[in-house]
Amino acid sequence: MVWPTASDTAAPKPLNARALAARAIARVMAGDSLDDAIATARRQIAERDMPLIKSIAYGVLREHMQLKALAAQMLQKPMDREPEIMALIEVGLYQLRRMRIPPHAAVADTVEAVTQLDRPNLSGLVNALLRRYQREREALEAALPDDAPTRYSAPPWLVDMLRQDWPDHWESVLAAANEQAPLVLRVNRRKLDRDAYATKLRAAGLPAQIIDAAPDALVLESAVPVDQLPGFADGEVSVQDASAQLMTGLLDLHDGQRLLDACAAPGGKTTHALECADLDVLALDIAKARLPRIHENLQRLGLKAEVRVSDAGRPNTWWDGKPFDRILVDAPCSGTGVIRRHPDIRWLRRPEDIQRMADRQLRLLSALWPLLTPGGVMVYATCSVLAAEGEDVAKRFLMSQPDAKHDPIAQVGWGEARRHGRRIAPGGGFDGFYYVRFRKPARREV
Amino acid sequence: MALMPILHHPDPRLRIKARPVVDFGPALQKLVDDMFETMYAAPGVGLAATQVGVALRLAVMDAGEETPEPRVMINPEVLDAGDRMEMEEGCLSVPDASEKVQRYNRLRVRALDRNGEAYELDVEGLRAQAIQHEIDHLDGKLYIDYLSSLKRERILKKLRKQQQRDNA
Repeated sequence: MVWPTASDTAAPKPLNARALAARAIARVMAGDSLDDAIATARRQIAERDMPLIKSIAYGVLREHMQLKALAAQMLQKPMDREPEIMALIEVGLYQLRRMRIPPHAAVADTVEAVTQLDRPNLSGLVNALLRRYQREREALEAALPDDAPTRYSAPPWLVDMLRQDWPDHWESVLAAANEQAPLVLRVNRRKLDRDAYATKLRAAGLPAQIIDAAPDALVLESAVPVDQLPGFADGEVSVQDASAQLMTGLLDLHDGQRLLDACAAPGGKTTHALECADLDVLALDIAKARLPRIHENLQRLGLKAEVRVSDAGRPNTWWDGKPFDRILVDAPCSGTGVIRRHPDIRWLRRPEDIQRMADRQLRLLSALWPLLTPGGVMVYATCSVLAAEGEDVAKRFLMSQPDAKHDPIAQVGWGEARRHGRRIAPGGGFDGFYYVRFRKPARREV
Repeated sequence: MALMPILHHPDPRLRIKARPVVDFGPALQKLVDDMFETMYAAPGVGLAATQVGVALRLAVMDAGEETPEPRVMINPEVLDAGDRMEMEEGCLSVPDASEKVQRYNRLRVRALDRNGEAYELDVEGLRAQAIQHEIDHLDGKLYIDYLSSLKRERILKKLRKQQQRDNA
C-alpha cells in the first residue's frame, strides 16, 4: 500500500541526502519533531542513505546557533523567507566543519540540492558562501560571538532558566546536551543476571561497563543496532537509559502489588517493573499510536500487563474503583534532560511551554492521588532538568494534598538531593531526570 | 539487497492466491530484505510478495509516522476486527491513483515473523488499513475491486493511458 497522503499528488522529484536533511531541519524549525521529519525523508530515499541524513540533521540541530552565526557573517542580508535554503546552508557548513566527507563532494552535493529544492537562482550564492567558508574558515570561526547561547548552541531562554536552576553547574548541563549519549542496556533479571549478560556481550565483541547505581544497567562502549545485541529478540535485554532504570528501586516493589503506570509508552518502565516483581500492572497512555510499542516490548520480554489508551488525568473515564499499591507518573515534560538524544527539543520548546507542562503534571498527580491505597507509594518523574517541572511541582503538590507525605530518597549513589526529591544532571549513562516519592499514610484504626 | 520490479495491474500474477510460507531459510531472508528495500524506495507503507511476483503469504510494512516500525507478516490471519470506516487508499500496483474504500478501523492479527516465530498484534488506523490491503494481495484481490464501476473505470483509464505513454 502507498502512503495515503502521497497518493494524491504526482510522485515527488527525487531529492539527494542534503536536500532531504535540509527539508527535515526546516520542518523542525517550523515546529515538527525531528522523528516525524526524518520519517518523511525515509519515504523518499533508499534506506542506505538514512544514516547520512540522520547524522547531518542531528549535527546541524546541535550546532544550529553557531552555524546560523557563521552564515550571518557571510550573508549580505538575512534569508528568513527561504527556510529550506537557510537550513541547506547550515547543512553545507556542518559538513565542512565536522564531517569526514571530502570538501569538494560536500559542496557539490549541497549546491546540487539548491536546485532540487526549486531555488536554482540561489545555487550561485550557496556555492560562493561555502567556498568562502573553506577559504576563511579560521577568521570566521574566531569571529563567532562569545556568549553562552552561541557557545552551547542553546536558545537564550533555556540558558537563563538553567543558570537560575543550576547556579554552579549550568555550563556542564548545557555542554552535556551536546554530547552523544551512549547506548545503555537493561538486563532482564528474570532471564539472567547482569554479569552473565556482560560476559555474553564480551563474547560477541561488544564490551560494556557496569553502572553501579543502576543494578540492571550496562553501558555499551560503542552503539550497535539492537538486533545485533545477543538475546535481544528473546527478551534478555532492552535499551533504556540509566536514569529511567532508577525508578524500580524507588517504588519498593513486591509480588502481588497493583501498579499503575500512568504515562506508559513505549513501556520501558512498565516492563522493568514487571521484570522486578510479579505485579498486576495497568499501563495507560494517551496516544493510541504509541500503544503498539508497549505491546511489542511486553511480548518480546515475555511479560503481561493490561494496556489501555486513556487520559490518566481523567480517572472517571477508565478507573474500575480498585485502588493501586503503587503509582508511577512519568509525566509528559519539556524533555530538557534528554536533549543529548533529541537535539530538536531545544528548538521546539518555547519558554511558555514549561509552565503549561508543569501545571499539567500537577493536575495529573492530583487526579491520581485518590487512587492510591493507604500506605501506598507514588513516584513522580520527569526527564527535565528544570526545577519548574520537578521540585516546584512536588512542592505545590505537597501543599495541595494534606495527606501526601514526602518520602525522601536516601542513601543512593546517584543524583543530587533537593528539598523534595532528587535530580540528576545529564552525562555518561544518565539522562537529565527528576524523581520524587510520596507516601500515603496507612489508615489508622479507630 | 536489490530493488525488485513491482507488478502493475492488469498483470495476472496479481490475481494468484498465494501459498503459505514453510521454509524460513536464506532465500526467504533475502526476499524479505529485498522487499523492504523495494517498499522504502517506492515509497510504500506496505508491500506484499504477490506484488513482486512471488506467490507466498508474506508482506512487509512500515507505517511508523514518528519512528521506524519495520514489520514482517508471514501467513497472517485476522483474529478480530473493529468497525468499518472509509479510508483513502492507494496501491503500488495501481500507480498514481487513490480512492476511498471501506476498511476495519481496528484489527487483531496473528502472523509469523521472519524467523517463523508467531506473534499477535493489535493495530488501528493506518496500520490496520495496510494489513487488510496486504492480506487482500495475498488472496489475489486489489482495492479497486471494491470500487463502483464508474470509479474503477476512471482509475483504469488513467492507468492505461500511463502505460501507453510508458510503452510509446
